[in-house]
Amino acid sequence: MNLRSPRPKRFWAQPWFWAWAVTLFVFPLIWVGGLVTTHDAGMAVPDWPGTYGYNLFLYPLSTWLYGPFDLFIEHGHRLLGSFVGLLTIGLCIVAWRNDTRGWYRWACLGLLLAVIGQGLLGGFRVVLDARTIAMLHGCGGPLVFAYATFLALAASNDWMRADQTIEPRGLRRLATALLVFAVVQLVLGAQLRHALPDLPPTGFMSLVHLHLTMAGLLTLVILALAWWVRRLPYRLHQPLRGPANALLGVLFLQLGLGIATWVVNYALPWTEVSPSLARYAIQAKGYWESLIVTGHQATGSLMIAMSVWMVCRVARRQAQLVANSHSYTISERQVVAAGAK
Amino acid sequence: MFSSPQIILFPGFVNAKYRSMKAVDVAKLPGAQGSLARSTTLGRFIEQYCAYAILACCAFAGCGRTEFPFRPNELHAASLVRESGDMDPKPVAADAAKVVEAWFGTPDAPKWPSDLVPEDTTIVVMEEVARCAGAVGRAEDEIERGLFRKHCVVCHGITGDGYGPAASLLAPYPRDFRRGSFKFKSTPVGYKPTREDLRKTLTHGIPGTSMPSFQALNQSPEFAEDIDSLIEYVRFLSIRGEVERRLISKAVREGMALDTKEPEAQQIAISVIQRWKDSEGSSAAIPEPPSLSDSEMAESIRRGRDWYANELTACVKCHGPEGRGDGPSQDYDEWTKDWTVLAGIDPKHPSEWKEMKPFGALKPVLDRPRNFTWKSFRGGGEAKDLFQRLVVGIEGTPMPPIARAEGGNPGLTDDQIWDLVHYVLSVEDDS
Ligand code: HEC
Ligand code: HEC
Repeated sequence: MNLRSPRPKRFWAQPWFWAWAVTLFVFPLIWVGGLVTTHDAGMAVPDWPGTYGYNLFLYPLSTWLYGPFDLFIEHGHRLLGSFVGLLTIGLCIVAWRNDTRGWYRWACLGLLLAVIGQGLLGGFRVVLDARTIAMLHGCGGPLVFAYATFLALAASNDWMRADQTIEPRGLRRLATALLVFAVVQLVLGAQLRHALPDLPPTGFMSLVHLHLTMAGLLTLVILALAWWVRRLPYRLHQPLRGPANALLGVLFLQLGLGIATWVVNYALPWTEVSPSLARYAIQAKGYWESLIVTGHQATGSLMIAMSVWMVCRVARRQAQLVANSHSYTISERQVVAAGAK
Repeated sequence: MFSSPQIILFPGFVNAKYRSMKAVDVAKLPGAQGSLARSTTLGRFIEQYCAYAILACCAFAGCGRTEFPFRPNELHAASLVRESGDMDPKPVAADAAKVVEAWFGTPDAPKWPSDLVPEDTTIVVMEEVARCAGAVGRAEDEIERGLFRKHCVVCHGITGDGYGPAASLLAPYPRDFRRGSFKFKSTPVGYKPTREDLRKTLTHGIPGTSMPSFQALNQSPEFAEDIDSLIEYVRFLSIRGEVERRLISKAVREGMALDTKEPEAQQIAISVIQRWKDSEGSSAAIPEPPSLSDSEMAESIRRGRDWYANELTACVKCHGPEGRGDGPSQDYDEWTKDWTVLAGIDPKHPSEWKEMKPFGALKPVLDRPRNFTWKSFRGGGEAKDLFQRLVVGIEGTPMPPIARAEGGNPGLTDDQIWDLVHYVLSVEDDS
């Protein structure tokens, strides 16, 4: 498989530019989507793909901007989604013309399909008003985000640079496990968020316990990764430092947001413990409260994207070895020893 | 560019639930001129097939439901039949649920038993109830519906039975409206809360519990009427649930037939509804707090402490000598006692109370007397709020009302009650 592609001169003719553009716009899209759920605005507009009978792009600006808040975010989410679709089309065109890697072109087309699929799910979520579809749509968003991140990384400098280092194999496994756990955690979170009204309390409680266990597991895995990366010799350590630190940061942010999310939704059950808990009354649909809840969800997506970053950096270095193996035979121990000097 | 609205109108798909409303409501939309009704034949074709495909996937995964029924009150039936031993509570609960459904409808289509009691906006405004019922969303008339599922259902449950998904993780548990008793209200024990009482709960929340404040709704004009609607829905759920409860009681205890035609059953429904009507305006009168100088206040607090320790008020027994809520008398609330103590079950023994778990019981938790040193009062922290709490008590909990000296009855005078209030407010944490 050809892993590298020559670069055209103009930045806007490079897939790198478009893939980043898609990634950067999918993130706010996830935020707005999260807000839609936080405010239960998913059904604020009863029809699709139109908005109250108007074409999506022609819904009167004043009615949108000055209308009800839930309608504002729902319609905004649809507009932003369409914009991401357009950017993805741009990415496909540029990749098809300027990237020499066949798999990359097809992967870009795959992203376009994923974006379209996500849009369709969103539409059917409205037309059928089924919680399941809402949940699939909610989980699809972060996956599209992770996918876009991957395409951006696969067109990046780091990916293109021939960097003959290899990683210990365990690191790659750990990074992959992290990615899987992060996705599972996100699905659990979505289940909690979209709990059906007649889910028995025991079911909800098991979900909460699973979500907490998974949070513990993720913490352990990220700490282990960070520790491992720190111990590597400089040449190996240097390219992995970025994703490792980012993961640590996102982890602590996410743990804090997770606790805060519980508190602003359900309060802590131990009011007997401290007067400040006893005096606290939840503010439903408050500004900070919705920001915290939506932020917890968006940061979950960010964690998946950061895991993709880590996996790419690690796996790329192993792939390099495979790609170059006809000209090199080099043992892991030699490289580590060379790096240690 | 687009002069005619026909060009910019788009033949999209409309959620099936709203299709029936369309004919009437779409006409109200400025410029919409029925385009939604005109969604093309091709559109419908594609829509149907995609819908079937997706629904098939969902059916496979065992989900995709949008309708949720009211949950029959099996816990109450189980606690009543427990003594008789051999009876299965489920059929009784199911029969009662059927009768109540005939009168009050379903969570998606609530209705009023007009043949028993004519619809009366002083009891429940059914128009508002309809706005709270059903799934969350807006139809083409742009009116938001499903407010109860949007705001309350995770805790209070579809039925208003306090058995929502999150219920078991909260302390105290969310209110079960079906018992018809409420804690923080201005009316005496045995009376229903007024609309003002419920509004206060919804706007301020209940600090120290999971019951949120919905103040934010008041602050934006588009949601400003939501609290009014939710109040009506709470009243509706409570009436519905209490009728169901009493039907079950009478059926189990006296063998009454569970049938909408049964005169005794009808009488139960009528009397529950009448109680709500009678309660509006039965609030206990609260005098203005006296304005005292510092030395008078110190004096009042000292007298209050004496009343607090007095046997007549018995406050110490529950709230403890220093007001930390650690007195010797610690008990459960009535919601819990209903299916434990009253059914001959010891709430302290898991092996006993777990018997009731399949019917929807949550682990019994003590209703602790308030710790005054926290300075957090769930029914409001102003002197007037506390005066009200003391004279009407906290219904459904061990906290009793004070006997008030009125019309020759023995009890505490208003001034003595103010002394108590001042004392309660003065308790500090001195450790
Ligand atoms: C996060 C959970 C939660 C949500 C959401 C919630 N409640 Fe509550 N609610 C509670 C709890 C817990 C209590 C019991 C507090 C207590 O016993 O002191 C309660 C109590 C109540 C009471 C009884 C107050 C009294 O005086 O006895 C009413 C009425 C009520 N809630 C209405 C609502 C309505 C209407 C909504 C939706 C707009 C709602 N609640 C949303 C948790 C919740
Ligand atoms: C039989 C036990 C008992 C007795 C006697 C009793 N209380 Fe209470 N009290 C309670 C319990 C239990 C609660 C908490 C109820 C709840 O919120 O579920 C409570 C709550 C309170 C509160 C908090 C109200 C709020 O808004 O949060 C105050 C104040 C209070 N009691 C004062 C008194 C005073 C003063 C007396 C004596 C006149 C008294 N209590 C007697 C059991 C008792």
